[in-house]
Amino acid sequence: MELLLEQLQGIPTIYLIQLAFWLLAGVISFMFSLGNARIWTSISMGFFLILISQFYLLNKLFYTPSMAAFTYVTGTVAIMLITHGFLEYYVFCRTFEITGRKQSVYLSTMLLLLLSWIFLSINPEPSMFTVRNVKMVENAIWVFLTLMNLEIIRKIYFSIRDSTIARAFICFGAVFVLIFLWKGSELYLQVFQWDRLWGNIAFQLDLDEIAFDRDIILDDSENYHGRINLARQVYDYAGMLAAMAVSGTFAFLYRLLK
Amino acid sequence: MFQLPKGNPLFENLAVTKLKLTDVVTKLANGSFSGYASFTFPNATGILVFEAGKLVTTFYKTTQGPSLSDFEAMTALAEQMANSDAGTMDVYRLSKDLTMCVNSLLQGEVLYRSQELVLIDIKTLLERIKNERMNGCLRIYTDEKSAMIFYKEGNPLGFFHDGSQDIDSSPGESHQLAQDPKAKLDLYTSVSADELMAHDLLDVINVAKIWDAAVARKQAERNRMNRELADKERIQAFTLLSDLEQQIRSIYIDYVGNVGRGIIDKELTTAGGSSCLLDQERSEQFLAALEKAAKLLISVKKIAEMKEKIAALLNQARM
Repeated sequence: MELLLEQLQGIPTIYLIQLAFWLLAGVISFMFSLGNARIWTSISMGFFLILISQFYLLNKLFYTPSMAAFTYVTGTVAIMLITHGFLEYYVFCRTFEITGRKQSVYLSTMLLLLLSWIFLSINPEPSMFTVRNVKMVENAIWVFLTLMNLEIIRKIYFSIRDSTIARAFICFGAVFVLIFLWKGSELYLQVFQWDRLWGNIAFQLDLDEIAFDRDIILDDSENYHGRINLARQVYDYAGMLAAMAVSGTFAFLYRLLK
Repeated sequence: MFQLPKGNPLFENLAVTKLKLTDVVTKLANGSFSGYASFTFPNATGILVFEAGKLVTTFYKTTQGPSLSDFEAMTALAEQMANSDAGTMDVYRLSKDLTMCVNSLLQGEVLYRSQELVLIDIKTLLERIKNERMNGCLRIYTDEKSAMIFYKEGNPLGFFHDGSQDIDSSPGESHQLAQDPKAKLDLYTSVSADELMAHDLLDVINVAKIWDAAVARKQAERNRMNRELADKERIQAFTLLSDLEQQIRSIYIDYVGNVGRGIIDKELTTAGGSSCLLDQERSEQFLAALEKAAKLLISVKKIAEMKEKIAALLNQARM
């Protein structure tokens, strides 16, 4: 127990706060998914899955490479579900068609997660590089689909701008701007190998020394200290604000649809 | 229209609407009937005179129009029978001679018409009837009363006056009328009963065809009226449905916004058009579909309000 507390204290406070907000957002969005129309189920389940994907913040407590990779895959599934939901909403705005059942969404989500877990289980245990690659893929997908969602939300808003719910889509727009900053800043750090995971890899493999021996520049972070610091700040605070915005948006949505 | 002697009534006050002209004619012809069948309608009278089963005279007259005879009379009578919702038929058996006299009244040659009696030497006229062995009818009348004297070969057969049912053998009323200074007379002559029987109108008039044509025209008219009525009802129903659809549309758009316009169109198409609004089951399905779509756009509370308003409109329209 003492060890657990000690390790918990080792997690940066900002991450704990972020996790607390994602927990709140996850609970609200999951509750919202239960009591509303089918199309909202995809969207709210997607936001709920962000909570699971954020468990990597607790890596210090129960880290295994497979678990870490799984949380990142879950994050990928989350944005895919959210995008699917917003796409369906957009299709509804254009064709007024509503199809499918809630149960199908829950079952498909569980099946996707199960298949992801099986995929990770039947393959070699992910190395540090693999885990980082999965995380990069997740961030890349998030950044791409976030931009796409912003465009879809804009179109949805203009289709239903005189409806009660239209203001909630402005909130979703704000959520995706924050998520873009959050995921985009981390992707930026990863692309230039300024992220913490690369730092761990470099440290564990003593890459700095190898680079020094071979006269290669592997770490140029000292030259870009300002922008790296800014990207890290954006990552920390945009993530937290995104969690707060998701909680607020679903609470607002709940009030509008009550 | 003057009254005719009733003789021996076979049928009285039979409803014309239940009769077929062909059946009546066939029955009277086959029964070697002598006498006449009188058809009385609210605005017309038709008479068929038979002598020993032969149709010798047809007569038809409306209150306004001229009197018709033969083929025209038969056609007009058939049309009237087929189209009329009211009317009665009376059939009276008469002797051969009286039948001839009735024929003279209906279609005989007119020797005098509306002749003022004071200007006529009645004795001379009666002598002329006797001397010329006339067959026919002398009608004496004022504005209030009339009396008829029937002659066969110049000899009086009998006397008939308004209000009486049958032929009298004594002059009675006709003598009193003849002394009235305002009295007028008509004198109709006819061929003899034997000559009358020489032709049968049934040989030249195809009653069945005339009747069938009249019934067909009546049916065509009825069909046309039904079509017009159906068209009118359809237009009324369409107008009602259009109004109802418009009201529902505006309520829905008020609640969910302009996107509701497309939702209504789509759900109406799915439900098979606005006619679904008057059908209990289909309108409930339509309302459920609107609710399902509205759940993505407005609050549960507003949906309940909106549904209540639309359901009230639908119930009102279905009543």
